[in-house]
Parts: sequence; C-alpha cells; structure tokens
Amino acid sequence: MKKTIIILFLSISYVYSFAQIAQNEKLVYAASYNMSGLMTQLAQVTLQTEPVKTSNKFYLRLSAEITTYSKWDTFFKIRDLYESYVNPTNLKPSLYRRSINEGGYTKTEKYIYLADGKTIKSTSRKKNRAEINSTFTINSSSQDVISMAYKIRTIDFTNYKVGQVKTCTIVFDEKEFPVSIKYMGKETVSAGNLGSKECYCVSISAKTDKLKGKDKNLIWLTADSKKIPVLVKFSIKIGTGQVSLSNASGI
Amino acid sequence: MRKTLLITASTLSILGIIFTILPLGTIAIIPNLLAIIMAFIVLKKSDAKQKTAPKIILLVSTLAFLTVIGKDIFVKDVVVVDKQFNLQKEESKQEAQKDLEGL
Repeated sequence: MKKTIIILFLSISYVYSFAQIAQNEKLVYAASYNMSGLMTQLAQVTLQTEPVKTSNKFYLRLSAEITTYSKWDTFFKIRDLYESYVNPTNLKPSLYRRSINEGGYTKTEKYIYLADGKTIKSTSRKKNRAEINSTFTINSSSQDVISMAYKIRTIDFTNYKVGQVKTCTIVFDEKEFPVSIKYMGKETVSAGNLGSKECYCVSISAKTDKLKGKDKNLIWLTADSKKIPVLVKFSIKIGTGQVSLSNASGI
Repeated sequence: MRKTLLITASTLSILGIIFTILPLGTIAIIPNLLAIIMAFIVLKKSDAKQKTAPKIILLVSTLAFLTVIGKDIFVKDVVVVDKQFNLQKEESKQEAQKDLEGL
C-alpha cells in the first residue's frame, strides 16, 4: 500500500506559480488493485485542503487519508494520514506529518522545515522502537510527497509538447530522490461525479525500485484551470492498480 | 480421467469458497466457475452410483458463484466511521498547530 501511496503522490511539479488549489477542497478516490486481470477495490483515498491560521501566519493544510474498505478491515486494516502545512501562495511546506497504520505496523514521521529552506528537523517513530530525532539537509526545491501532489496542479501544460519532461526532487523516508514528469498528451477519461473530462496525461518516473515499467505510472489531470487529478494508474513490483476519482467537492 | 477431473473440481471448489469468503471481489468467480464446469463434466461421465460427489461440488460452487455475484451487485464498498482514527486526526491537527506556532 505504501508503494501505491508514493505513486499517487508522485504527481509532481517544480514550477512556482500561484496555486490554483481551492481551500476546503475534498477529493475522494477509490484505490483498486489488479488481481488476475480483475480490479478489486481496496481502499478509499481522501485528499482534502483546509485553511489554518496561527498567531502570525496563514497556512494551507493538505491532507491525504487512506482507509481500507470495511470488507478488508478484518484482514488488513489501513489507516494512513499524511499532512503537509504549506504556504497557500507557493505551496512551500513548513510542516509535514505522516502517521501510518498498515496491518498493525505503525510509523509516525514529522518534518519541520527550518527557515533556511534547506534543513529538515525530523522526528520519526516505528512500532515498538524508540523515537529518532535527526536533522538533514535537502535541496531547497525538494518537497514532501503531499505538497508535491498538489504542486503538479500548478504546472501549465498548455504549451507542453508530447514527450516533454520536467524533473524535480521529493523527500520521502528522509531520503531525496529525483522524479521525472513526462507530458503524454490529452485524453478523455471518466472523472467520478464530474462526468467525462478532457485530461492531461502525465507519466511519472523516479529513480527508485518502487516503480516499474516505462510510462506505466500515469496520472490524468483535468485539462482546465483546476487540474483535478482524476485517475492514477500505477505499476509496481507486485502488480498494477489504479486510483480513480469518485467524488469531488469544494473545487 | 473422471477421477482427475473430480479432484481438480474439488480443489477449485474449495479455492472458490475461500475466495468467496475473502474480500477478493469478482476474482472468486474464476475458481467457482471452473469448478462448476468440471463438476458438470464429471457428472455427465459418472454412473448412477457415482453422481453424489459431483452433485455436491456443483451445488456448493453454484451457491458460492451466486454469492460472489450477489455481493458484487448488492454490497457497496464502504468505509466505516473509525472513532479512534478521527480522534487521531484531531490530535494531529492540534499538535501541528503547536508546531506551526513555534515556527
């Protein structure tokens, strides 16, 4: 499931433009896994935005929840929560939190981005292990998976040529790795309660052993100003699957 | 030939039942359908005294097959309200607020 989540969030952009992300937006997806050619629904993925005010700043809370459908809870229960608190203007993260519970395996992780933009103060804890505190440096443009998932929506694909590639870096599990986003063209796909939508199709590839195949990890974004991710197809070591939009609100 | 088919049908039938119980969705159709076909062939190849076993397999696999179809049509995939998870989310928000105030 972790791999699925990574792929979902490898929807990345490096372009700094004004965010087109609505506050209080809620996108609900159904995650399915391909078993012998038949798609089996495993979990619900919910992406949500929410404004957060502190005494001196405004943030946008970007969150992703992964919850297995009740039929799976007895066998393999997943309750994952990913959060990124970002600058609402440029989606630059200030705080990233991750709390996963996958079949009894738990892990919590917190990154505090220090003011220099290149240092992360990390706190992590795995099940039955002691808390680990560390500080590490990153490329100033590197972002966590959640804020990157939203950042892709600020890319202007209108002038992109088929095959054009953009590269960037994400931070996951205290490691940085480069990711390429390749524009694949336009396609019309089903977008849950939004009906059929013309979408930009982009291919995601990363220098990691988690993703498999060339141009087999794809994401479709509505070809409008919102750029809602409506479909993600992924290919990993143990098979293939997809995450499809079932309901979008507050967009 | 009959014996081989009967063993295969029995194995597929057991597999079909397991798949039907597990939340594997329509994939459970495959072993159940194969068990039905094989049990039917065995039934046709059997003498009057040998028909009990294939009849049982046929009945069990057909019921399992119908259960899978019924589940697919009538049972919707839902996420239960998880109070503990909701509480965890609220706590996470509060902790984040504290961290952000310190930045």
